[in-house]
Amino acid sequence: MDIDSPLKQILGSPLKIPQQNPAVLHPLHHQLAPSGPQEAINTIKIQNCVASVALGCELNLQMINYRTRNSEYNPQRFHGVVMRIREPRCTALIFRSGKLVCTGARNEHDAHLAARKFARIIQKLGHEVKFIDFKVQNLVATVDLRFPIRLENLNQMHGQFSSYEPELFPGLIYRMVRPRVVLLIFVNGKIVFTGAKSNQQIAESLENIYPILQSFRKN
Amino acid sequence: MKKCGQCNSTEIEVDSARGDEVCTNCGAVLADNIIVAEVQFEENAHGTSAAVGQFVSADSKGGATGYGKFHVGTSTESREVTLRKAKIGISHLCNMLALNNHCIETAHNFFKMALSRNLTRGRKNSHIYAACVYITCRTEGTSHLLIDISDALQICCYELGRTYLKLSQALCINVPSIDPCIYIMRFANRLEFADKTHEVSMTAQRLVQRMKKDSLHSGRRPSGLCGAALLLAARMHDFNRKPNDIVRVVKIHESTLRKRLLEFGETPSSALTIDEFMTIDLEAEADPPAFKAARKKDKERLQKLPDESEFTSLQIEIDAAIERDLKKNRKRKLNVAGTSMVIDEYDETTETDKFIGESTIDVINECLQADPDDFVAGDINNKVNVDVVVPKKEEKKVVKIEKEVLPKFGGLKPDLLALCTVSEKEQFLLSSSNKKSTEPVNDLDLEGLDDNEINGYILSESEAVLKDRLWNKMNAEYLKAAKEREEKAAKEREEGKPEKKKRRAKKKAIGPSSSAGEAIEKMLQEKKISSKINYDILKSLTATQDDKVPEETDKVPGPETPIEEEEKTETEEVLQQQPNPQRIEPSSTSPRKSYINLSNNRRSKAQMGLPVVMHTETAEEEKPAEPAQAVEHADDFDEDEVEEHPEPQNDDDRLGNILNMGDEDNEDAYLHSEDYY
Repeated sequence: MDIDSPLKQILGSPLKIPQQNPAVLHPLHHQLAPSGPQEAINTIKIQNCVASVALGCELNLQMINYRTRNSEYNPQRFHGVVMRIREPRCTALIFRSGKLVCTGARNEHDAHLAARKFARIIQKLGHEVKFIDFKVQNLVATVDLRFPIRLENLNQMHGQFSSYEPELFPGLIYRMVRPRVVLLIFVNGKIVFTGAKSNQQIAESLENIYPILQSFRKN
Repeated sequence: MKKCGQCNSTEIEVDSARGDEVCTNCGAVLADNIIVAEVQFEENAHGTSAAVGQFVSADSKGGATGYGKFHVGTSTESREVTLRKAKIGISHLCNMLALNNHCIETAHNFFKMALSRNLTRGRKNSHIYAACVYITCRTEGTSHLLIDISDALQICCYELGRTYLKLSQALCINVPSIDPCIYIMRFANRLEFADKTHEVSMTAQRLVQRMKKDSLHSGRRPSGLCGAALLLAARMHDFNRKPNDIVRVVKIHESTLRKRLLEFGETPSSALTIDEFMTIDLEAEADPPAFKAARKKDKERLQKLPDESEFTSLQIEIDAAIERDLKKNRKRKLNVAGTSMVIDEYDETTETDKFIGESTIDVINECLQADPDDFVAGDINNKVNVDVVVPKKEEKKVVKIEKEVLPKFGGLKPDLLALCTVSEKEQFLLSSSNKKSTEPVNDLDLEGLDDNEINGYILSESEAVLKDRLWNKMNAEYLKAAKEREEKAAKEREEGKPEKKKRRAKKKAIGPSSSAGEAIEKMLQEKKISSKINYDILKSLTATQDDKVPEETDKVPGPETPIEEEEKTETEEVLQQQPNPQRIEPSSTSPRKSYINLSNNRRSKAQMGLPVVMHTETAEEEKPAEPAQAVEHADDFDEDEVEEHPEPQNDDDRLGNILNMGDEDNEDAYLHSEDYY
């Protein structure tokens, strides 16, 4: 038996552990942990924005495909033209009915700009393009709360809204009713928001969930 | 004792042979064709007696089932067939998994629940059975994994998982979280530890407990944890089990197993000797490995960042520049004459700084003007609402309950009240979004679009021809098929074949409602019970229930007050039927409202006798007439009171909607009735 093992030392003075441990093991966690919901909201990062718009006219997809550079059209696999632009880096799905879905933008503004660019490209090809009902359909955002969360207990208390099946997915899926956002909550304190239609909804949902998660904080 | 309906005499003669019932006092035939409602017994050839007839199970919807004595000719209902099939399927699966009869029953009951809510539609039977059995396993705490079931039925584990989640969510079954410990016995039995099985599994149990304390288990499959624990336990008891042996039994990959072991190696408990481990429980709980990894990453990222000193010096510089800038600004305001001098001193950086500062402040001001009012007000209102709604007693109870539950799990419970109340912020947003949609800008805004860039995406003519040719070549097959399809469709259309019927759309699920009235309203919107019912009258009836006080009907002044005596009494009767309308909603007893409802009521009486066709007309008349009346009467009352109750306007809206719906109904009904008669 080695008497000098660090564990022995800890065992010798069990009272010290709770005081020592947090400072030694994760100094960052205390310096950087967002101290309140507001700070956490400020660190939300939007990862993807899906928006749709109607161009208000029937489109000739074949023509759009062969006259543009960054497009694919494979009707056997998918019934729309897939078009990409570089700035902002976005992908659009363009359908014959004149519906355009723009994905991959980092925020609402980029999505709007990109959708207008796509519309402009199509306009230049000779379609009478309008720009009707631009709408953000989905926002995906992430945030790191920097504290571990006890998922089982959270699932136990919020069973109506959450499902946590480690056999299927490592995170806890929390379906918030108001605002209608789905949150994927992971044990390391990271959260993924999806299904939101606006930044505000995301902020609101974090505001709602923050005190709950804090009450299920581990350590 | 039964009484005669004519003379109230109780001397009634029942003749079971003729099957009739006659009053001996007045001679009235009270019933003929009585069906016997008594149990009879018959003796069979062996001398034993048995009840006549057959048993009808509680599930069956009536009629004879199977091969009973009466062959009435009714076949079994399809639902019964489904249930019977499900029973067979579930018991088959349960037998494969070695589950007992009780589990079969429970799983079957889950299936019944799912069937009654139409959750089986669009899903494979085998998935539903499996999901029901899995829910049973979880609630009963048997040591079955999802993968065992998918293994037994040879179906995709994740597909099954999806069905299971959907079912458990829809049936509101709160499935307890998995405890990895329950699987250890099972795996240990298959690892051939002979008579040491129990000891090894106890050690493994202890290991898993420790791992759980160090949150190695959260977000991980229980089988991986069990595998790692069993491997360690086996080695601790001098069994030579290779990772491969474990992998085969617990069905995880070797790398997963290794990862779990490494993670355990990083916890403080791993530094203990075997003896120590078995006797000592460390107080400290380690953070979950994923959390540690994230912090480590953060640290690395921080180190990669440029030196902090550089950062701060830059910051100081910027601060100083802003400070100077501000001072100059102040100076400028003080002596306007000296402005040109100051401007000359500007260098490029300060100028940009100034621009940035000003623009950000503008934006912030804009945000402040737009946001804070509704933001703050909405929040406060929300809280106030909650406070008002929750009576104090209940609050205490809630707190108590939480206290009882908290020590078990810890943490806040969901705030249902906050979920159910619509905050003013949301209402504002809703209304504002409605306003926005009324004036859409449909033209493409070209601002900020660089034509050069866009032209870059468009191919030149020769390139386009090439791409077209290539595309046509690659998709030749598809084009051919599409052409054939089109020709076929055209041919069919010429021949006058009817187009293929589209599948009926699924019924929309009706969400929970706040009151019985609302539920009925929703249900009526969903399906029309009968074409003979005038739905707006129904609506007006429920409206009277919501908000009316009998006395107020008399107080209502105005030109239309002389209401005929008959009608008044009738409305009062209606009112008296429901106990104390005041208590239901004391705040909303606005005279204006009551008047509207009254007028509805009056009309409803007049319409009762009319044929269905007339209703469309009356309904249309009613709509414009109402608001006008309402306004007339509103003038007679305090403006305050009217403003306090803006709902009537809403009510009108809703009423209008319903009325419109009623129109459609009746048109439909009219069309249908042509078909029927």
